[in-house]
Amino acid sequence: MSLVLDRLSVRKLPPSAWLLALLAGLALTGPFLAPQDPTAQDLMRVMEAPGINHLLGTDHVGRDILSRVLTGAPHSLGLAVLCVALASSVGITLGLIAANGGVFVRVLIMRLADLMLALPGLLLALLFAGFLGGGIWPLLIGLNLALWPQYARMAEAVATSVLREGHVEAARLAGFSERIILTRHVLPPVLRAVMPLATLGVGQAIMSISALGFLGLGLKPPTPEWGAMINELLPFLSEGFVQMAAPCLMIFVSVLTLTLAGRALAADPTRGGHD
Amino acid sequence: MNPLLRVVGLRIGQALATAAVLASLCFVFVQALPGDLALRVAAARVGDERVTPETADRIRREEGLDRPLIVQYGQWMINLAQGDLGRSLLSGKPVKQELTYHASFTLQLGLIGWLLSYLIALPLGIMAGFRPGGVVDRVTDALAVTLASLPTFLVGIGLITLFALTLRWLPPAGFRTSAHMVLPAFTLALTLVAFSIPVIRNAVVEVRSAFFMTYAQVKGLSPAAAFRHHGVRNAAIPVLTYAALQFAFVIDGFVVIETLFNYPGLGELLVKALIARDVPVIMGAGLVIGFAFAVVSLLADLTRLWLDPRGLAEARA
Repeated sequence: MSLVLDRLSVRKLPPSAWLLALLAGLALTGPFLAPQDPTAQDLMRVMEAPGINHLLGTDHVGRDILSRVLTGAPHSLGLAVLCVALASSVGITLGLIAANGGVFVRVLIMRLADLMLALPGLLLALLFAGFLGGGIWPLLIGLNLALWPQYARMAEAVATSVLREGHVEAARLAGFSERIILTRHVLPPVLRAVMPLATLGVGQAIMSISALGFLGLGLKPPTPEWGAMINELLPFLSEGFVQMAAPCLMIFVSVLTLTLAGRALAADPTRGGHD
Repeated sequence: MNPLLRVVGLRIGQALATAAVLASLCFVFVQALPGDLALRVAAARVGDERVTPETADRIRREEGLDRPLIVQYGQWMINLAQGDLGRSLLSGKPVKQELTYHASFTLQLGLIGWLLSYLIALPLGIMAGFRPGGVVDRVTDALAVTLASLPTFLVGIGLITLFALTLRWLPPAGFRTSAHMVLPAFTLALTLVAFSIPVIRNAVVEVRSAFFMTYAQVKGLSPAAAFRHHGVRNAAIPVLTYAALQFAFVIDGFVVIETLFNYPGLGELLVKALIARDVPVIMGAGLVIGFAFAVVSLLADLTRLWLDPRGLAEARA
């Protein structure tokens, strides 16, 4: 935790950090802010323009768009964070094992990573999620199959170079256990190196999750996921511009925020950087 | 051993390994599906209401679904090695025939979109690279970040809204005329541009700050002439390598684009097959896409070696 706090002195926070905080808040509280039931249909009021009852209008079966967008936040954003958290944990663990283990383990893990990187990312997720018929777990596993190798590669590269450094050698000679060396000396620089990648990765995950939702292979309806909302609204594009724009803008702003935050981290990893 | 042969051999081996992994994964996925496969096939062929246990049994025998798993897996791999991908469960046509029909559409769209993206990215990237920190650089940077933050389908929806629904210049979806190609190709191009502009810009910046460029100018060449004679070829190495690689990443884009524009390519075929659970088509499309990805990676490697023979020297050492 101190790793993060050291870096972020509040005065110098870049604008993307504030937006990031806003998005996190939205992902946590979205469903409670929704003014109406996001799945309640009202067939007398389909594709209604924005008004006092429905601030962002209604969709093709009369559901409140604002409520659906808010309720969708934890699905679209939370799932992306979960996805990257899982992929980076798996990747970092395997990367550390590869860096610290013998030749056989290293070659096995890194070749596997290369092989997975040789497959187009969305294809794997598509096949996995598609075969298992959507839902949270197929989506998570499918995306993770494609995501873990980049973290494994980076963790392995950083860990290998750190393990060669003098202070690690000193710690080893002083008799510290392998586990202490890995968690105290190797893990922090690996985490620092992975941070920008993971931040960008959340943005990528948001795009992948919404793309799968858009293809009808993501979370199952009537779950209000942003990509799936866009898929449902697509035939009514000419009638409901605002309704369509709402989930589109949410996706765009989220990914843009994460891209800017990731760039800021990558540009100046010691201070959180500025934009 | 000839290092060129070694690189090619390595890549072909990798492509085959990729195909084998994909094929095995497909098989595992199918077995992991809940429910009775034969019953689902029967439902797809004769309709949900008219399925009887007898039709399911007949299909189970016809498709060999009653044999042990390991036999089915062996049969599946042997058939694949012989280029036999089976028949579509839905249409009954050979999968190969479906794939070749749809692949031609995808290839056309991919090629046009990819070329278009470099028509846009090359001038912008080079101009940005000539004045790092200048107006063009900052505008293209903002453009690239914006486009990189837009999922493919949002770019497409934006273009449809503007050009098809508002201005009514172009048809929103379909594939009959060449006008139908414009919006999908532009969508693809814009999503690619987001990543190629920074690559081109950085390549130009790097080459321009290289020592041999200073020398070229010291010996009396104008900056433009120095760049023409010494810069272009050196800057082309990372750009062309990336361009070839990016052609492989087109794959992520075209699944979404084809579905959005109702364009009958491989991606659309794959998504429809996934939704209908048409297993042989899913496997065939997955394999073809994965294999194409590997082949394009090989071409990218060869391009790089051709432009920069230093790589060959290293492989020889």
